[in-house]
Amino acid sequence: MNKTSTAAAVLVVGTLALAGCTDNTTQASADGAISVVSTDDACNVSTDTTAGGTIKFDVKNEGSAVTEFYLLAEDGLRIVGEVENIGPGVTRDLVVMAPQGKYFTACKPGMVGDGIRAAFTVNEAADGQEVSADRAALQKNATDQYAAYVKDQNEQLVRGTEKFADAFASGDEELAKSLYAPTRMHWERIEPVAESFGDLDPILDAREADLEDGEDFTGWHRAEKDLWAPKGYTKMTESEREKIATKMVEDTKELYTRTQSLEFTPDQLANGAKELLDEVATGKVTGEEETFSHTDLWDFQANLEGAKIAYEDLQPLLVGTDDALDEELKTNFAALQKQLDAYREGDGFKYYQDLSDAQIKELASGVDALSEPLSKLTAAVVK
Amino acid sequence: MIGNYLIGLREGLEAVLIVVLLVAYLNKSGRKHLLPRIWAGIAVAVLVSLGFGALLTFGPKGLTFEAQEMIGGSLSIVAVGLVTWMIFWMAGVAKTLSSDLKSQVDKVADSSTLGLVLVGAFAVGREGLETALFLWAAARATGETWQPLLGAFLGILTAIFLGILLNRGVLKISLSKFFTITGALLVIVAGGVLAYGVHDLQEAGFLPGVHNLAFDVSHIIAPGGVTGTLLKGIFNFSPATTWLEAIVWVAYVVPVMFLYLRKVFASPAKAVSSKNA
Repeated sequence: MNKTSTAAAVLVVGTLALAGCTDNTTQASADGAISVVSTDDACNVSTDTTAGGTIKFDVKNEGSAVTEFYLLAEDGLRIVGEVENIGPGVTRDLVVMAPQGKYFTACKPGMVGDGIRAAFTVNEAADGQEVSADRAALQKNATDQYAAYVKDQNEQLVRGTEKFADAFASGDEELAKSLYAPTRMHWERIEPVAESFGDLDPILDAREADLEDGEDFTGWHRAEKDLWAPKGYTKMTESEREKIATKMVEDTKELYTRTQSLEFTPDQLANGAKELLDEVATGKVTGEEETFSHTDLWDFQANLEGAKIAYEDLQPLLVGTDDALDEELKTNFAALQKQLDAYREGDGFKYYQDLSDAQIKELASGVDALSEPLSKLTAAVVK
Repeated sequence: MIGNYLIGLREGLEAVLIVVLLVAYLNKSGRKHLLPRIWAGIAVAVLVSLGFGALLTFGPKGLTFEAQEMIGGSLSIVAVGLVTWMIFWMAGVAKTLSSDLKSQVDKVADSSTLGLVLVGAFAVGREGLETALFLWAAARATGETWQPLLGAFLGILTAIFLGILLNRGVLKISLSKFFTITGALLVIVAGGVLAYGVHDLQEAGFLPGVHNLAFDVSHIIAPGGVTGTLLKGIFNFSPATTWLEAIVWVAYVVPVMFLYLRKVFASPAKAVSSKNA
């Protein structure tokens, strides 16, 4: 019993009070608060959706027993917020910070049982609103969203590949050529994930120049060479095409199956975004990727989109912890996209060989400008 | 009206009980001059709670749920530490009291100035913020109806009245019994406070297991009823107790009670044996 323990106690309370302070006024809803009326047998919440961030409930007890009000997580178990001891006739406030997601509201008249529950949805936060104090939940949210994106892109890749393979095998070169670049974009958007399967990546996406002795030349670039045949090249026979096409569909379906159960971590997302930019720098800006079709800018766009999705999924983790990096990434993503937009033609882009050296150099410096802050993303999100 | 009265009674009892036993002890052991320290601690706790509560209710800033639970839970656990210290301090002073060395006793007591202020402050303060928030919410409702505020005040007054009765009651019992009973009662009260603090931290998600109940008798003892209110107010008994609460309660009460009783019963025995020798 001395000064130290007194100081410690004061410090504990003081720190908690400061860390837990939140604005009484909130932009969560137009009038600043969601009103809840709890009676002995009902729980009327004025709305069942609101914007994420700081949410305030005004809970009025119009019943005869003491009541409690809870905001529960999607599992119906974890308490996100609660206010106890609401006597009859009394209004008490509950202020919580809740990120986007599904919740339950519950009144508990008499403080017994599971309470009178209703589903409650929190939408995306308004700009500039802090979304959550719970980083673990944010990280889970980010990786879940990204996993859903990967699944979706894979699904589209399978469907696109089937169409392309049909056209290619049947000798409809015009159709096959028009499907080539747009279909590959689904692959390029999730390239780091696809590349993580060391057996599938080479048979689907290896370029002839990168093949080692004894390896078969298959997959996308095999078809590319046949469609945009260089001088002195002997075209494949119908049965050879058939074989390549069938294998592509088979392998893409295998990739789809394997990605269904993939789970990600925040650092994988952040590193993946950086890898995609590196892909752009080493393959697309140099025009090496699509040697025959020259559709490198389609791949460029897809890599950029894939990286941007990963960043956007992770973005709530930067809010309030590294706003400067967030701002820099947002600006540089937009700047690079603007540069790339200058080469749009119709649904697609200019062919690589139509770009001037100065234009290529300019694109390369745009990629570097984004690459630099992107390399800091991993450290910022795993905090 | 009844509901708000019971809230006032419960919160009041939770705060009053420890104070009453401490005050009774100081009266009984003839150290009334130390009472102002207790009152000072209580006054500080009440003023800080009411001020902070008003600020949070009417000011520009509110407190998040997690922070409220963390403050309530942590204060409770600090309060248990202080009360445990107090129990053993009382047992120790009681021992010297029996050998009638009054001047030494006062020295010991005087050296614990800050300790007594803190016990008073925390006993009241741990419930203070929660009660203050409730009172201000009730006060805000006075435009519509004055009943909630009146109910809450009557509840708190009843708690203080019960405290005074308890004080008189324990003062009447004999000295040796007094120490044993107040101390043992305090151990059980402190165990309840600790379990309650743990429950707060479970609700805040800081500790796990808020839904793993050891027992749930809320269908027999309604938490909002008179029995439930008194049990909660006096022993912090919850009709729906989690396993972690139950384990913490037993892990605190059993060894502390054992050590306390050993200390209380060992001292007179020693005194007797030394006289005989």
